[in-house]
Amino acid sequence: MTGVGRIGREYGFTIVGIAIGVAGIVALGAMGERIVRFIEGGDRFVLGQISVAGRGMGMGAGFTAGGMLPASALRAIAAVPGVAGVQAQVMLPLNPSTSQFMTLTQELVLGLDLSVPTPNRQYPTLPVHEGRDLRRGDRGVAVVGASFAASHGVRVGSALVLEDERYEVVGVLERTLTAPDRFVIVPIEDARRQWIAKDRLLRTVIASGAAAVNAADLNTGAAVGWGDGEDPDIVARRIAERVKDVNVQIPSELSRLLRSSTAFFSALLGGLGVLAFVIGGLSLANTVAAAVFERIRDFGVKRALGATDWQLGREVLGEALAVTLSGGAVGVALAVLLGTGVDRWAARSGQQLFLFSGRLLGGSLVFSLLLGAAAATYATLRVVRLSPAEAIRRGA
Amino acid sequence: MLEARGLVKSYRAPGGAPIRVLDGVDLAVPRGRLALVLGASGSGKSTLLNVVGLLEDAEGGDVIVGGERVSALGRSAQGRARGRYIGFVFQSFLLLPSLTALDNVLLAARYARRAGLDARRRARELLAEFGVLERQAHYPPQLSGGEQQRVAFCRAVLNDPPVLLADEPTGNLDDANGRVILEALRARARAGAAVVVVSHRADAVAAADAVYHMREGRLEPGPSTSGGGPS
Repeated sequence: MTGVGRIGREYGFTIVGIAIGVAGIVALGAMGERIVRFIEGGDRFVLGQISVAGRGMGMGAGFTAGGMLPASALRAIAAVPGVAGVQAQVMLPLNPSTSQFMTLTQELVLGLDLSVPTPNRQYPTLPVHEGRDLRRGDRGVAVVGASFAASHGVRVGSALVLEDERYEVVGVLERTLTAPDRFVIVPIEDARRQWIAKDRLLRTVIASGAAAVNAADLNTGAAVGWGDGEDPDIVARRIAERVKDVNVQIPSELSRLLRSSTAFFSALLGGLGVLAFVIGGLSLANTVAAAVFERIRDFGVKRALGATDWQLGREVLGEALAVTLSGGAVGVALAVLLGTGVDRWAARSGQQLFLFSGRLLGGSLVFSLLLGAAAATYATLRVVRLSPAEAIRRGA
Repeated sequence: MLEARGLVKSYRAPGGAPIRVLDGVDLAVPRGRLALVLGASGSGKSTLLNVVGLLEDAEGGDVIVGGERVSALGRSAQGRARGRYIGFVFQSFLLLPSLTALDNVLLAARYARRAGLDARRRARELLAEFGVLERQAHYPPQLSGGEQQRVAFCRAVLNDPPVLLADEPTGNLDDANGRVILEALRARARAGAAVVVVSHRADAVAAADAVYHMREGRLEPGPSTSGGGPS
């Protein structure tokens, strides 16, 4: 008598109502999770290394936003006590037009000095989904981020033309929902050539011989690691004191800066989350309570047949939990289905709008269950307080 | 078997003065007797049935079943007493629409903790006896009024309760179905149950051992019947 079929017959509309509420909560939560992952990923990255750039305003130099960092500066940084590794980098906008420059969706070319290990403690390597990572001695090859690969339709073995030079894609990174999803990572020697090709002023300076610049000086920045037991902020300040003409990002300050610059998104997400939980939660609680009150006559009949308060309470609560769990599960499935569909469409332009994390799905189900149980308990207490005759009268 | 002493019950209309519906009602129905309660609409017949059936509390007086003062029991004990001692037949059947006819009958056994193969077998026997076994898998909306009341009667007697209370059991039935139910109630009395029926049907008087009239909150003995007089 307590089969799934009976629950479905008695509570079909209730389950649908709960499912819609939960689907709303999960969908909004998944959008929030997507942005949170982006912000947290950036935070982890900046806390994993000391970023150093040449002093100046080298437009188009990516997140380092500095001037040129010559080889002599790299050597000086490496000599600072506490420094455990220095990797020269070149970061360039793939398309230096104003439409893309310095936006969250900017596609970047990252050149890495493959002769030294990447010193970032959080991301010593980026996870490769397909193909391989770059290796020392590579030339004319690229590893691309997942969003870049999707939006440009490239995969391992594809050819990529950057500044009139042909590159073979040897790897595609796993989707991280962070900035590297839009990176094209190449050996630093190749990135330097691209920089010169993109930057007319740099070409003019080099051609004029006005400044003594050789290839090793063409770096937009460096990732700097610190030794075990060292405080990265102290090491960063030490670099700033001892090495001239560099901009040093203090990891904790950069993290704070990043968080304050994304504070609006965090607040927006928080507000959306609270709104989703309040609206979805109220809808769910109301639906469950209404479903119990709707059956008040049945409960009166059951009590007339000998059901005690305890038996009835247990029965109503059990059914409410089953209904809430069913509605919650259907709602989660509905949200995942719709979100996946939307993401499939968005993937054509390299976007992903939803992130259905385990904590979100589990949390939504637990939240639904707790709220359903609370609403059912409230309704049950109201129902069992009535005499059987009153319950039958009210339900008639 | 069933005894009510000095039952008092009032209702308070919203914003109005309390209306005394039962004003010191006494009733005694021994085993094997069918008592019929007549009265105008709103005279308190159903309230009397609800109170003696422990479906609502009285402000005063006692309900005694089988020598036990059940009106003094706590809520849970009253629930168990209802399941053990009392069967109900309602005018509007009150079958649960989401359950089949068989499951509706078995509901009585479930709360009396008698669910099992015996209860299922007994439920089928009763459904067969009342000609609705073929409808056991049907849901109440798929049954006629007469069939629903027969299923409801099976539910009321599944546990062989010593007290059977019927509130206008034929009120929504045609004559033929009404006669079936009245005869079934009479049969339960002959089998040893104390039966109280509230009805308007003239032929109900003939089936009764005792007839009472509810007037101004009091129960007055009616004329003697062929089945016996007021106790």
